[in-house]
Amino acid sequence: MADQRIEPILAESVARGATAIPAPVVVVAVPKLGRPRRFGQLLEREHILAAVLLAPTLVILTLFIAYPFVLGIWLAVSDKVVGRPGNFVGLHNFWVNLNDSIFLRAFQNTFVYTFIATILKLVLGMGAALLLNQHFRFKRIVRASMLLPWIVPTVLSTLAWQWMFDATFSVFNWMLMNVGIISQRILWLGDGTLAMGCLITVNVWRGMPFFAITLLAGLQTVNPDLHEAAEIDGANAWQRFWRVTLPLIKPIMLVVVLFSMIATFADFQLIYVLTRGGPYSSTHVFGTYAYEIAMRAAKLGQGASISLTLFPFLLMVIVFQLWYIRRSD
Amino acid sequence: MNRRAFLGAAGAATAAAVVGGIPGIVAAQKAPSFPKGTRLNILEWVSFVPASDVEFKRLAAEFGKLAGVEVTVDLINMNDLNPRIASAIETKAGPDIIMMISNWPHLYADGLADVDDVAEEIAKRDGAYYEHNKMVSVVNGAWKAVPLCSVPSTWAYREDWFKEAGAAKFPETWDEWRKVGVALKKKGQPMGQAFGHSLGDPNNWAYSITWGFGGTEIDKSGKVAINSKETVEAVKFTVAAWKDCLDEGGLAWDDSSNNRAYLAGTISATINGASIYFVAKRQFPDIAKVTAHGQMPKGPGGRFYNIGGQGRADMKYSKNQQVAKEFLRWFMDRPQYDKWMAANDGYTVGPTPYWEKHPLWEKDPKLVPFKEAVKFGRWPGYPGVPNRKSSEALVKYILVDMYAQAIKGMKAEDAVKWAEAELKKAYA
Amino acid sequence: MAVQYGSRLKRAVTFHIPLTVMVVATLFPFYWMVITSVRPDVELYNVKMNPFFTLHPTLTHFYYLFELTMFPRWAWNTLFIATVSTGISLFCGLLAGYALARLQFRWAPSLGTVIFITYLVPPTLLFIPLGDVVKTFGIGDTPWAVILTYPTFLIPFCTWLLMGYFKTIPREIEDCARIDGASRFQAMVRITFPLAVPGILSAGIFAFTLSWNEFLYALVFLASPQQKTIPIGVFTELVRGDVFYWGPLMAGALLGSIPVALVYSMFVEHYVTALTGAVKG
Repeated sequence: MADQRIEPILAESVARGATAIPAPVVVVAVPKLGRPRRFGQLLEREHILAAVLLAPTLVILTLFIAYPFVLGIWLAVSDKVVGRPGNFVGLHNFWVNLNDSIFLRAFQNTFVYTFIATILKLVLGMGAALLLNQHFRFKRIVRASMLLPWIVPTVLSTLAWQWMFDATFSVFNWMLMNVGIISQRILWLGDGTLAMGCLITVNVWRGMPFFAITLLAGLQTVNPDLHEAAEIDGANAWQRFWRVTLPLIKPIMLVVVLFSMIATFADFQLIYVLTRGGPYSSTHVFGTYAYEIAMRAAKLGQGASISLTLFPFLLMVIVFQLWYIRRSD
Repeated sequence: MNRRAFLGAAGAATAAAVVGGIPGIVAAQKAPSFPKGTRLNILEWVSFVPASDVEFKRLAAEFGKLAGVEVTVDLINMNDLNPRIASAIETKAGPDIIMMISNWPHLYADGLADVDDVAEEIAKRDGAYYEHNKMVSVVNGAWKAVPLCSVPSTWAYREDWFKEAGAAKFPETWDEWRKVGVALKKKGQPMGQAFGHSLGDPNNWAYSITWGFGGTEIDKSGKVAINSKETVEAVKFTVAAWKDCLDEGGLAWDDSSNNRAYLAGTISATINGASIYFVAKRQFPDIAKVTAHGQMPKGPGGRFYNIGGQGRADMKYSKNQQVAKEFLRWFMDRPQYDKWMAANDGYTVGPTPYWEKHPLWEKDPKLVPFKEAVKFGRWPGYPGVPNRKSSEALVKYILVDMYAQAIKGMKAEDAVKWAEAELKKAYA
Repeated sequence: MAVQYGSRLKRAVTFHIPLTVMVVATLFPFYWMVITSVRPDVELYNVKMNPFFTLHPTLTHFYYLFELTMFPRWAWNTLFIATVSTGISLFCGLLAGYALARLQFRWAPSLGTVIFITYLVPPTLLFIPLGDVVKTFGIGDTPWAVILTYPTFLIPFCTWLLMGYFKTIPREIEDCARIDGASRFQAMVRITFPLAVPGILSAGIFAFTLSWNEFLYALVFLASPQQKTIPIGVFTELVRGDVFYWGPLMAGALLGSIPVALVYSMFVEHYVTALTGAVKG
């Protein structure tokens, strides 16, 4: 009896374009249990069920984020150094940061790094998704291997890149020199702007696959009939993309951008391994500078204040994006 | 066991150890001093010389057997020690003994126990510590770490190329150095120096040459004194050297880049510890044959190296203070230290002049300059104490960046002024 | 699904060439890593040599990795940690995603927001205070220190993904089951969750990769060599002072990625189709 009810609903969903649910669907004939027991009855009420379901998440997040976060805020407004109890100093740490040229540079770098890398990842990821959306012979292998940059532990792949950019051994210099394009080696990590470029390159290399695969999924929800209709109406490929595809995948695009941007803002590993903030402190970002101050100068309070500065800006970016999504809904 | 008896036994043990070796300790102790099940955990850096790690672990196990204690050793990369130490001190849990590099005892002073008894005992027996070892280990009059060793740097250089360029031995003064450098770079064999953001090699130039020309970060009263005629001279010299003598990849170099460049034959000389020579001996014997080590050239202000030294600290939170101190005492004792130093094969230098007589220095004369270099050691924050503020200057790479920015085009006077402003903030 | 193009030349220019460029750019560093891991040291330091192939491949670096470091142990640790933290995050994300997607209750939107806000807090800020929490629970230097802290950055994404996925599953299916007498809980577990398996797969893959990759917490909370994970072990023990052991480092990087890559290749098609569901949310 239950089967008969579910089948037409499933059929309707498929018609509406939802994913075909894989064959071994668990369509369970629900046994008659009679009246639910008392606990079961409690769980009938949405509030209780919600509380129970959310409990594990909230416990973990409270213990391991909320509580340390509050401690982190306390650190940021204290003069704490390792080993000594700290005293409240109000906004002193933040004032010091504002007068610190390295901090200001890190501030600028973080934004430049994040925005450029995200835009590149989005554009290239979109391009990659469009390419992978086609049928071609090695589709499966290519799709799987595209994910490799994202899979390799960042620390290790960044080391590989460091060697590839090395002033003496750079494989890029070797190639460019042998082809005759340059006669003097390029000092990739030796110039502030060039080094930022290298950092962005590695970040894009690492993160683009994630964008590509996720956007690919988005592309596959677009009904090909819509494309045909547009083509019949005389739209060319670019117009089809811009007018048909893009609006439909905007939701997933925005979410992927959101999560990626947050991670890139707080990025630490990549810059730490590739340049450590050099040359002459020109590639520091919030994450690396906070780490250096907190760990090597043992000034936990100051380091926390640098880390914390991320937060309001990140919040602003997120709020803006969410507002933008809601607005276009 | 009350304190006096313990000290008495320990003192006797040490004396006995000098005479009777290890059995002396065991004999002097009337009963096992430590409760069963005591564990000692030691955290050290991963040594550049793998053999010394092996030897250290062996010695640790030996101590464990002698004292009836379970000893475990953790080794991690030098750069990753800081977060581990910070976390340990803050949570008051972690290794009992942690290696201190350079002026970390000052940085972490509040989390370290006083080890005056052990440190002074060793000094009495082996001779006064080198000044830099002492300065970094004594905080406000108390010994916070037992000096372990130094890893001095010298100039590793290609004897053959230098001879061809007209220098029979390594240049004595900076001016001579510059002359040779110009000749070498013209032949495509520049010298190499790191100006990137790593704590070793870049600072070995930045501090050494500043002192060599007579500049200092601060003066005796603690006031920032970097903005001086001497420092400007040092900066101008560096910029000129950059153009004429140095490999221009240096701005991006970290501690390992010069090793690679030297072994690849793209540079003729560089400031480094003995690691270049060791790798050469093992894998590039042709280069090892023509490699020698020279001392830092003398400037108008003298000849100096930036040496922080290494030490071992007993953590205040540790519940095994006695065991920890016994270990430190035992390890620094001559029979043990001798073995460990031999395993290091010249990469490390002892904390006291006593170890200058170690037979290993006669095995390979090319390593002797390292033994000599340690006598010219100074520390960041000279002539003041290498305290927290000098750490901040280090961590922000103020001196290194001063040179790097000048190389990049900033006028020498402006670079120095920038450094002055930054140092003022650090020393505020 | 695929959109057809006109002439062959056009196809070459707009498809084949960009695809090739993309594949080469993505996989080039791997090729380089593979070559480096089988190159003898002498060649590695030779500037003049062609970096793209070697005539004397050697397995010494792999040997070094296996014999002289605890790599197999690290691999096991990383696998264990990644699997369990993924499990925990999926469990929490599944329940939380369902609650936020399906159930109406007063705090729903704000809790959803709160969960995402936690994702914004950077680990570089958290790790010192977290050390305290870890110590209080006595889990320092055990895998549990990271297994319990990784979900802090895994759960928000899993929750979002599954939330979106649940929204695509028509309510009617559950309502049907409930009319037939199932409790809300049973309907959730017996009907909805199985339908979300593809979403669970994709969230799981994402979570697994991030756990596998993590550095800072593992560095601080895992102390002894036996407890280390691959990124930490390889990085901290093959970089000795100022000498990088490039051969073993790259060997470690390769071996550290292959298992995950294999898992991916099995699931990537599912991953793609599964994300489709979440997309519609």
